Amino acid sequence: MDFNLNSEQQLLQDSVRRYVDKAYSFEARTALVNAKQGGSTGNWAIFAENGWLMAALPEEYGGLGGSLIDTALIAQELGRGLVIEPYLGCAVLAAQTLAAGGTAAQKERLLPLLADGSQRIALAYSEPASRGMPETVSLRAERDANGYVLQGRKSLVLGAVGAQQFIVSAQVSGAKDITLLLVDANSAGLKRQAMPLHDGTWVEELTFDGVQVGADNVLNGGLAALRASLAHGIVTQCAELVGAMEKTIELTAEYLKTRQQFGVAIGNFQALQHRIADMAAEMEVARSMLHAALASVENDDDATRQKTLSAAKALVCRAAKFVCGQGIQLHGGIGMTEEYQVGHYYKRAIVADLLLGGSDRHEAACAAALQSELRAR
Amino acid sequence: MDFHPDPSLASFRQEVRQFLQTQVPADLKGQPRSTRSTREQVMRWQKVLNAHGWGAPYWAKKDGGTGWSVPQILVFDDECAAAGTPTQDPFVQKLLGPVLNEFATPEQKAEHMPAVFNGERLWCQGFSEPGSGSDLASLRTRAELDGDHYVVNGQKIWTSYAHESDWIFLLVRTNPEVKKQAGISFLLVDMKTPGITVRPIRSIDDSHHLNETFFDNVRVPAKNLVGAEGAGWSITKFLLNNEHATTADLPVQKRYMQQLRQLATTQRVGGELLIDQPEFALKLARLDAEVQAIGMMVQRVAAMEQEHNPASHTLGSMLKIRGTELQQKISECLVEALGDYGAVAYPDPHEDLDPAQPLLPLQEVARGMANNMFFHRASTIYGGTSEVQRSIIAKMLFQL
Ligand SMILES: Cc1cc2nc3c(=O)[nH]c(=O)nc-3n(C[C@H](O)[C@H](O)[C@H](O)COP(=O)(O)OP(=O)(O)OC[C@H]3O[C@@H](n4cnc5c(N)ncnc54)[C@H](O)[C@@H]3O)c2cc1C
Repeated sequence: MDFNLNSEQQLLQDSVRRYVDKAYSFEARTALVNAKQGGSTGNWAIFAENGWLMAALPEEYGGLGGSLIDTALIAQELGRGLVIEPYLGCAVLAAQTLAAGGTAAQKERLLPLLADGSQRIALAYSEPASRGMPETVSLRAERDANGYVLQGRKSLVLGAVGAQQFIVSAQVSGAKDITLLLVDANSAGLKRQAMPLHDGTWVEELTFDGVQVGADNVLNGGLAALRASLAHGIVTQCAELVGAMEKTIELTAEYLKTRQQFGVAIGNFQALQHRIADMAAEMEVARSMLHAALASVENDDDATRQKTLSAAKALVCRAAKFVCGQGIQLHGGIGMTEEYQVGHYYKRAIVADLLLGGSDRHEAACAAALQSELRAR
Repeated sequence: MDFHPDPSLASFRQEVRQFLQTQVPADLKGQPRSTRSTREQVMRWQKVLNAHGWGAPYWAKKDGGTGWSVPQILVFDDECAAAGTPTQDPFVQKLLGPVLNEFATPEQKAEHMPAVFNGERLWCQGFSEPGSGSDLASLRTRAELDGDHYVVNGQKIWTSYAHESDWIFLLVRTNPEVKKQAGISFLLVDMKTPGITVRPIRSIDDSHHLNETFFDNVRVPAKNLVGAEGAGWSITKFLLNNEHATTADLPVQKRYMQQLRQLATTQRVGGELLIDQPEFALKLARLDAEVQAIGMMVQRVAAMEQEHNPASHTLGSMLKIRGTELQQKISECLVEALGDYGAVAYPDPHEDLDPAQPLLPLQEVARGMANNMFFHRASTIYGGTSEVQRSIIAKMLFQL
C-alpha cells in the first residue's frame, strides 16, 4: 500500500487547506454560525468553483471522476476548520445516493447541477427510531394513479436548509426493498422544521402528510444504493474527525508551550506530556482506521465492508470524543468558553457520533456480524 | 464493620421528605439542578428553609446551623435533589460560611449572617485570575492600604454568578515583598462598590454563569479583611478542605440516572424499546454499578470526615476525580440515549421560551440535557483540576 499522496491529491489537500485557513478563520466561522443559516451560499459557490462538490462524481455526469480518497482529503480539511456548510449532507450523501441509485435520466439531469452547485439535494433517510440505520423505515409510500403518496416523518435531514429536493427512503406496501424517491422541497403536504445542531450546522425534521410524488421520481436502487452512499458518508465523517483531532492537538500543544503556571510552561508537567502523547496516539489509531475503511471500500465484499465501516464509525467517533474532550481539559477554564475554538471541536465530535448511527449502534452491528460469522463455523 | 443502615437516618429522611412534601411551595420543586438556580429562586428557597430552621444545613449548631451529621447532610442533599428544589447559594453555604464562622469578627458576623440566613445576599468567589488558575498563589490583584480603606486593583476571571451576586470574597495581594503565599489576604467586597466591572463569559453549554471581574481603584473598608493581613492563604486552605463528601454531587447523578431509565423505557430503536438493546442495557448496568460504588465511597468519606480522620482528604480527592468523571459519562450517555435528537441544540434552558415558536421534536424531554453534558466538561477543571488532584493523591499517599 502507498500511504503517500500523489501530486494531484497533494494539490487538492493544499487548496482546501489554503481556503480553510484564509476564509474560515475561527472569527469568520463564528460570524457564520451566528447568522444561523447553516453556512453561506458564497462559500458553497467557491466549493463548486474549486471542484470539491464534483470531485468524486462520475465524469459522464459533470464530475471529476475522482474517488472516495478525494472526498476524504477534502473532508479532513473541512473538519480542521469546523466548516458548517453541508458538504456531508449534500455533496456526499445525496449526490452519492443519486450516483449509486438514480436512473440514467435522473443522473443526467441532476448530477451536473449538484456538481456545479446550482442545485442542492438532501438525503432524508433517518427516522427517530432508526437512529441512523437505513434499514428501519416506517415512512409509507402508497401507490396511486399518479405515482405515490407519502406519509410519515424523517429526522435530522442534513443539508435540508436551502435544498430544492430531497431523496426520501420509504416503505411501499408489499415491497421487500425500501424505495427511494425524489421529492420536491416545496411539495404540498410536506412540513419542514429547521433546527440547529450543537456544531452550528442546521438540519430539518420533515413531516410528510399525503405528499404526492410522480412515478418517474422513483430511483432505481433501494437499500443497496443507500448503503453505498452511507459508506461515503461514514468515511467523510471519519476524515472530518481526523482533521478535527489534528487541529485540537495542534491547538493544545501550542497552549502547553505558552500557558504558564507555577513559573513554567504547563507543558513541563509530565502528566500533560503523557496526555497529549495519548491524544496523538489515539488520533493516529483513528487515522489508521480511516485508512482501513478506505481500503475496505476499494477491496472488500459487501459484508466485510459493512462491518469495517461500522467499526470505523464507532472507533473514530470515540477517539474524537476523547481527544477533543481532553483538548478542553488541558486548556482549563479557557477551554470552556464559547469564544475559544477548542470547545467547538468537542461539540463537533459529539454531533458526529450521533449522526449516521451512534457508536453503540455500530458496535452492536459489528457484534451481530461476528456472531453469525463464528456461529457458522 | 457493620453494614446496617443507621435507623435514625431513615426517620431523618422521612422528616426531610415530609417537609418537602408539605411545606415547600409546588413551584419550588421539579427544577433542573446541575448549576446554581436563578437568583430569585435561590433567595426564595433560602427563606423557606430558614423559616423551618434549616437556613444553614451544613453548619454547626453554635453557628446557627442545623448541627446535622455528615450522613444527615447527605440525606438532605439527596432528598432536595430528588424533589428538584432550587439550590442554595453554594458559595456562602459551603465555602465562605465555614470561614466566617471560624475567622470573622463579631462585627463581620453581625453584618453578614442575618442576610445569609434570610436569603437577602448572594455571594461569589473571586480567586482565579487570568494568570493564576491551578497556581492560585501567584495571584496579582493588589490591595493597598490607604487610611482605613484598601484600594483594590486587578482582574479576576471565571467568577461564577458575579453578575447575580451582592458580595464577593476575594483573594488579594497585600504584600508583594514576602514569599508569595504569605502576601495574600482575604477580603469581603460589596459588588456595588464603584470601580467594579463585571463582564460576561458565555460558556460552551450556551449559558452565562461565568464572568470576568475587573477592579479599578475599588475602595474597600479595611474592616472587611477576614483574619489578619497575610492570612489569606491559610484561610483558603481551610476553605478548600471543607466538604469532601459532597464533591461528587451524587444526588444530581442519581437524578440523571433516573432520567436515563425514563428514556430507556420510552424511546424506541428499530422495533424495540431502548432498554431492549443489549448494548444499551449493558451500559446502563455499568453506570448503575459505578453510581453504587461512588455512592458507597461518599458514605466512607462522610464517615471519615465525621471522625475528623485526615485520610478523608486523599479519599476526597479520589472521589472528586472519579465522581466528576462519572458526571461526564452519565451526562454523555443521556445525550446518546436521545439518538438523533441528542445532536439538536434546543433553546437555552435558562431562557424563557418564545410561545410563538413551535416546540422542536422531543424538546420537553431533551431540553437542557446536552447543556448539562457540555457543562460537565468543567467538573474536572473547577474545584482543583483532576491533574492537580492526582498529584495531591500521589504526594499524600505515597510521599511522591
Ligand atoms: C465552570 C467553571 C466555574 C468556575 N468558577 C469559579 C469561581 O466561581 N471562582 C473562582 O475563583 N474560580 C472559578 N473557576 C476557576 C477554576 O478554579 C480554574 O479554572 C481552575 O483552578 C484551573 O485553572 P485554569 O483554568 O487557569 O487552568 P490552568 O491552571 O492553566 O490549567 C491548564 C491545564 O494544566 C494542568 N495543570 C496545571 N498545573 C498543573 C500541575 N502542576 N501538574 C499537572 N497539570 C497541571 C491543569 O490540570 C489543566 O489541565 C471556575 C472554572 C470553571 C471552568
